[in-house]
Amino acid sequence: MTLSARHPWVRALLDWSRGWWQVIRFGAQVLVLAMSPSSYRSSQRPRIVQSIYQATMPMLTGFVVLSAIAGLVIIRIVLATALSYGLSRYALDVLVRTLVLELIPLSAAMFAALRYAMPAGEQVRKMRMQGLFNTQLAAGLDPMRDTVLPRALAGMFAVITLAALSSATTLVLTYISVYGFSSWGLAGFTRTVGQVFNPVIVLIFGMKTFFLSMAVAIIPMVPTPREAGIGFGWAHAEVVRVARLLAVVLLIEMLSLVGNYY
Amino acid sequence: MSPPPELPPPADAPPVAHLDLKARLLLVGVLVLIGVSIAYVLYARGAFERKQTLVLVADNSEGVVVGQDLTFAGFPIGRVNRIELSKEGNARIVVDVPVKDANWLRESSVFTMESGLVGAPKIRAYSGVPSDPPLPDGAVRRVLSGDASAEIPRLMASVRDLIANLTSMTSSDAPLNRSLRNVQTTTETLNSPRGALGVLMGDDKDAKKIITTLDRTNALLARIDGLVLKADGLAVKADGFVTRADGLVAKADTQVFGERGVMKDAHATVAQLNGLLGDARNSLTKVDALLQEAQGIAGNTREATTDLIALRAEVEASLRKVAQLVNEVNRKWPFARDTEIKLP
Repeated sequence: MTLSARHPWVRALLDWSRGWWQVIRFGAQVLVLAMSPSSYRSSQRPRIVQSIYQATMPMLTGFVVLSAIAGLVIIRIVLATALSYGLSRYALDVLVRTLVLELIPLSAAMFAALRYAMPAGEQVRKMRMQGLFNTQLAAGLDPMRDTVLPRALAGMFAVITLAALSSATTLVLTYISVYGFSSWGLAGFTRTVGQVFNPVIVLIFGMKTFFLSMAVAIIPMVPTPREAGIGFGWAHAEVVRVARLLAVVLLIEMLSLVGNYY
Repeated sequence: MSPPPELPPPADAPPVAHLDLKARLLLVGVLVLIGVSIAYVLYARGAFERKQTLVLVADNSEGVVVGQDLTFAGFPIGRVNRIELSKEGNARIVVDVPVKDANWLRESSVFTMESGLVGAPKIRAYSGVPSDPPLPDGAVRRVLSGDASAEIPRLMASVRDLIANLTSMTSSDAPLNRSLRNVQTTTETLNSPRGALGVLMGDDKDAKKIITTLDRTNALLARIDGLVLKADGLAVKADGFVTRADGLVAKADTQVFGERGVMKDAHATVAQLNGLLGDARNSLTKVDALLQEAQGIAGNTREATTDLIALRAEVEASLRKVAQLVNEVNRKWPFARDTEIKLP
């Protein structure tokens, strides 16, 4: 009798490790494909561009408006609280750090995951399980390059675009909330933004957004170890996938906070 | 070979016109947005400004962070770029000042680092003499430090002492409390039927004495009133006397100080006396001279007397010698007479 048979927790641990290894390996494959010039040949480019457009445009306006409304509420709360404590000179700093650096990338990632990456991942998983991948492989095509990569790149692009546009919108709203519709505070506002975005923070912000976009693009596409060939347990598999995604997002967020503030 | 199976089309994907163009525009737009954001952050951090360096030396750079502002009159004119330790163990705060703002800093500028209770220390520049030469690039200046939180232990110690003093002042056996209790007793006595007199005297017997004294004083005053009335009458009579005395005084004035008054004669007499005194003074002056001569004569006489005495002594000595000589001669001379007297 094997060790895993004697001890069920060993089997669970092995399944858990296997699942994560699958995610990491899949992610590495997608990354390699994304950095390969052959992935962007003229025959591939239209598919990639189309996927990017179809992933990003439908949710762009909605997310920007939603994040603007939520951002305005948070801006008002922070400004009013800081004013009541006589700490209004720190309000701008707090808003830039919390909204632009932390909340917006996180919300953009979760929004893109829910609106695009999870359904796209489900499509890819279904195709894999229906044997379409094998069929394409047999026909000499590369399903990873033709099917997975465009969707992954689209998911990553969507996260980065939502984060960039919402960050810019939030900065504009912050300026208007603090200084109004005039340009007298532009110098001070720019100085504060410059003080917040030092080289370390810019690097960590960029890396965080990139890794969040990768997590959102890759994890929904990876089947759980028990999914292959099993007709039941889909709901459980979805929960596991969402849990994985949230765990990775949380880990990335913690690492960025440690890098920024520790 | 059969053609590869096509991927199933998405169920709800509507056809998009000019998809490729829109997608490229989206890509370009996002790239431009990211590029502009990076450029804005670089501009905000002063990457496109010409800067000069100012080094501030402090004993302690605790709380100072890279990126914090150097302010002048409340406006940020520089940014801390680096904090390092010097060979002497001091903190060197390297501040980058844009050239356009560096004209506010002068050779005589003073730099301070003030630590409040909340927030990082604030680095400020003060320039008192605008006509001084501008601060050169790479200048090193000592920063004056002030820390509000360093006063807290002293403040706490003072507050502790104050509380201890207040506690001792307000304790039940403290002089203040005892005094207040006494004041309360006094107030109660004041409000009682004994009143202020009871407070002053403390004893009913003594208070009664005071009252008796007051009564007697009142009676005395009444009698004095009567006497005063009588004295008023006398005063009226005295007024009459005074009036008559005034008349006498006026006559006496005339007698004494009038044209033919005593004073005039007295003046003449005094003038005569003055003349006599002058003559007497002159006489006395001459007498003085005579006396001085007499004094001289007396002096000479004294000297002569002294000489005479000496002369006399010499003469006597000479006479004695002569006598001795004569006696010798008489003894030795054959014709000398025997002076011895022989008695029968």
